[in-house]
Amino acid sequence: MIQEIANALVQSWRNFATAFVLFVPRLVAATVIFAGGFVVSLLVRRAVQRLLAWLGAGRLSERTGASEMLRKAGMPTAERLIAKIVFWIVWIGFIVSAVDTLQFEPFQGLVEEFFRFVPRFLVALLVLAIGFLAGNFLWRAALLASVNAGLPGARVLSGALRILVIAIGVVMALEQLGLATAVVLTAFSIAFGALMLGLAIAFGLGGRNAAKQLLEQQLQAKKKRDEDAAPHL
Amino acid sequence: MENESTLSDALLRQLIAVGQTDILVGLPTLNNATTIVGVVRAVHECFTRDFPRLRTVMINSDGGSTDGTPDLIRDASFAEADMVQTSHSLRTLHRVVAPYHGLPGKHTALRTVFAAGELMQAKVVVVIDPSGPATTAERVTELIGPIARSDVEFLAPRYRRHPRDGVLITQLARPLVRALYGVALDEPLGSEFACSGRFASHCLEQDIWNHEAARFAIDLWLRTEALAERFVVGQIWRPATTAAGTRTTLREAVRQVVLSLIESLRAHEPFWLKADGMAALRTWGTDPLVVPDAATWDYQTLAEHARHDIVEITPLLEEVLEPALLARLMDESPGARSQLDDELWVRSVYAFAAATRVGRTSIEHLADMLAPLYMWRAAAFMSHTESESPAIVQARLDSLCETFLRLKPALVARWSAEV
Repeated sequence: MIQEIANALVQSWRNFATAFVLFVPRLVAATVIFAGGFVVSLLVRRAVQRLLAWLGAGRLSERTGASEMLRKAGMPTAERLIAKIVFWIVWIGFIVSAVDTLQFEPFQGLVEEFFRFVPRFLVALLVLAIGFLAGNFLWRAALLASVNAGLPGARVLSGALRILVIAIGVVMALEQLGLATAVVLTAFSIAFGALMLGLAIAFGLGGRNAAKQLLEQQLQAKKKRDEDAAPHL
Repeated sequence: MENESTLSDALLRQLIAVGQTDILVGLPTLNNATTIVGVVRAVHECFTRDFPRLRTVMINSDGGSTDGTPDLIRDASFAEADMVQTSHSLRTLHRVVAPYHGLPGKHTALRTVFAAGELMQAKVVVVIDPSGPATTAERVTELIGPIARSDVEFLAPRYRRHPRDGVLITQLARPLVRALYGVALDEPLGSEFACSGRFASHCLEQDIWNHEAARFAIDLWLRTEALAERFVVGQIWRPATTAAGTRTTLREAVRQVVLSLIESLRAHEPFWLKADGMAALRTWGTDPLVVPDAATWDYQTLAEHARHDIVEITPLLEEVLEPALLARLMDESPGARSQLDDELWVRSVYAFAAATRVGRTSIEHLADMLAPLYMWRAAAFMSHTESESPAIVQARLDSLCETFLRLKPALVARWSAEV
């Protein structure tokens, strides 16, 4: 009995020792990958930042209005932001590789998953950026058009349009990432539908007369606002 | 060849049949039935009476009139009983009527006239505005004379206006063009002009013709191109025109003028960045001296609209104007009685000009954003000069030109920083 217990203990110890001996090199490798990855990521970040500066990304970002938006959001410049994103993508890649090197059962296939995710992530970022740019452009155009037309609440109208376009961009980006697609799409559809329905009911029932009056006034105001250019030329 | 692509086969055949010419008078038309016959007769009288020995041609470039304008030109008789002809032309009088093809707009009509002038080796090209003040033979001759007999190669009209008239010209177009190009040009936007065949050929070689903005920017561009390319430019007194028939709204007019100015700034950047001072231009003709009455309009309502619009677009103005400048503008609180002083106005205009260089906001949007500021400036100007004599108002206009000139280095610095 005692012998059997001793054998089991020895066997257990041997298994542990074997596993430990097998694990240590993987741990060392993972640590090296982790630390080395950090250094490489830092270098890549610096290189990307310099490359973007050389390509004039800062000016492009100024021209597109992205810089202004980033400043308002308390974020770094576009060059720094992109370099940071690249840093995290590269470093997370190394972290995933390091974890994969440890060969833990639950994390098997993590590297493949990660590399499948990266392109989707980049596309999502692009969609988000386009959404922001389109939102800004449309906001500006709508604000100027409605001010020129003398519409009341021009800022509210154009602001709502900007939020809507950016929201569509965010939803599309999240869908691209595959993050809670159904929840996001459903929430967006419900919110958008409710908003439109609410407006339709408010305008159709509650504000029918007000709407009529508003449109009539609008027409009058527009005629009044269309000043003749003749005395100015 | 530029000509071959610009001129239709039918027009080309007609021009070849006419052959070489000395004087070409172009009539760009679009539904000018009410005035065109008088203009055609005046041109023919001018040819017959004042230039009988020269080869002359009148070319109508029609933009698709639906009121029979081309037919009226074709059929217009110039042997009217009340037309006293003191001499007869020794040469055949040619009259060519042709619809232009290409992009719709005055620039395409002018391009056709210029291309015809180049093909026919015209020495003088005159463009008459058929919707302008009554055209007489004397006035056509006045336009032809300086180009034919002196070294001037571009002749721009000059009008005797009341200084409170044409505010968009006096507050924006004129002082800006004067300051940037360093030349005391009075009317950057007039539609009539005369030029040499050499200048017409030069213009044909430029790439302005296919630009979208050229549709309304061509008048300004022609003048600034002549200045920038150092052609000898002169001015000629013409009877005052009235824009009363225009159907353009003020905002649209501001937009077109701003787009025209930007088109010229971009085209002539190497010139105006270095130009300085203010050269006078030789003027032909007789100064009418009599100052017409100023047009009256409701500037207080305009000020109210300006105030409303500026408040609404403040977030957009923040993108264009420096914070200190915007703060000063906001402190002034737009209104008919509030002052938008020369310096503030000029700095704002220059900030918009520099913003077109940055390219962050589209030029069309910038033009729309400047409109309320202009409306404020126009209303404030009209309010402050309401009871002033024309001489004092004129002094104010001269002072504004000086302010544009004085602050030009700030625009040059900002523009150059973006290169």
